[in-house]
Amino acid sequence: MNITKEKINDFCVLKIDGRIDTTNYNQFEIELTLLLNTGEKNFIFNCEGMNYISSSGLRVFLVAQKKTMALSGKLHLCNLQPAIKEIFDISGFTSIFKIFDTQEQALA
Amino acid sequence: MKEEIIISNHVDELPVLAEKIEELADQWGLTIPLAMNINLALEEAVSNVIFYAFDDEKEHDIKIVISLENKNLSIEIIDDGKPFDPTARKQPDVSLPAEDRPIGGLGIFLIRKMMDNVTYNRHNNLNTLTLLKNI
Repeated sequence: MNITKEKINDFCVLKIDGRIDTTNYNQFEIELTLLLNTGEKNFIFNCEGMNYISSSGLRVFLVAQKKTMALSGKLHLCNLQPAIKEIFDISGFTSIFKIFDTQEQALA
Repeated sequence: MKEEIIISNHVDELPVLAEKIEELADQWGLTIPLAMNINLALEEAVSNVIFYAFDDEKEHDIKIVISLENKNLSIEIIDDGKPFDPTARKQPDVSLPAEDRPIGGLGIFLIRKMMDNVTYNRHNNLNTLTLLKNI
C-alpha cells in the first residue's frame, strides 16, 4: 500500500495504491488519524490504484466515515476498480459512502 | 490438481500466502478476479486463526490444502488451535447506515460471499474450515 496526499480546494485527497489488508490497514488508520488531528475533515479517497481490500481495510473506511460524519465533514470515494466496487456492494458499503466515477466529480 | 501450503501463525505470512495463491492461479489458469476472491477468503480465514486460535506464544503450523477437480475448487484451512467455529458467528446487518454499523464482523461474511459453501469441522484436536466454490 502507498498513500499520497494532496490538498485540493477544501479536500484532502488521498490516493491509495496497492493492497489494504490485515498487514497494513493500521498504517492507513494512523495516517488518517494524524490528518484528522491536524483539523482535516473533508476527504477524497481516490482508489484508482487500490487493487485489493479485505475486511481490515473496509474497517478503516468505515471508521473514516464515522469520524468525518461526527465532524460534519465529507468523505468522497472515487475511481473504484470493478472488483473493489463489488466488495463494497456485497458489504453494504455502496449505500453508506458517496462514490464518484472520477476525482473531478468527487471535488465538485 | 492439488497443492499444500504450510505457513506459521504470524501475520507476516499472509503476503507470502497471497503470492503463492497468485502463482497457483497462474499455473491453474484461474482468472485474476477469482484469484482475488480466493485470496480474500483465505486472508479472512487465516487471519482469524492467527489472531484468535492460539493462547500460547508458541509457533504453530497452519495448513492450507487447495484443490481443483472438474471446476470444483476446494480450500481447507487446518490448525491445531482452540475449537472455533467461524460459521456459527452471527451475520452482520449490511443494510445499516454508517452511524449504526458496528466496526468489524465482516470477515466471515466476506468468506461466505466469496465462496459457495463454508463448513467447519473439529476432529483429533484440529480445526478444519472447508471452503468450496464451483468455478
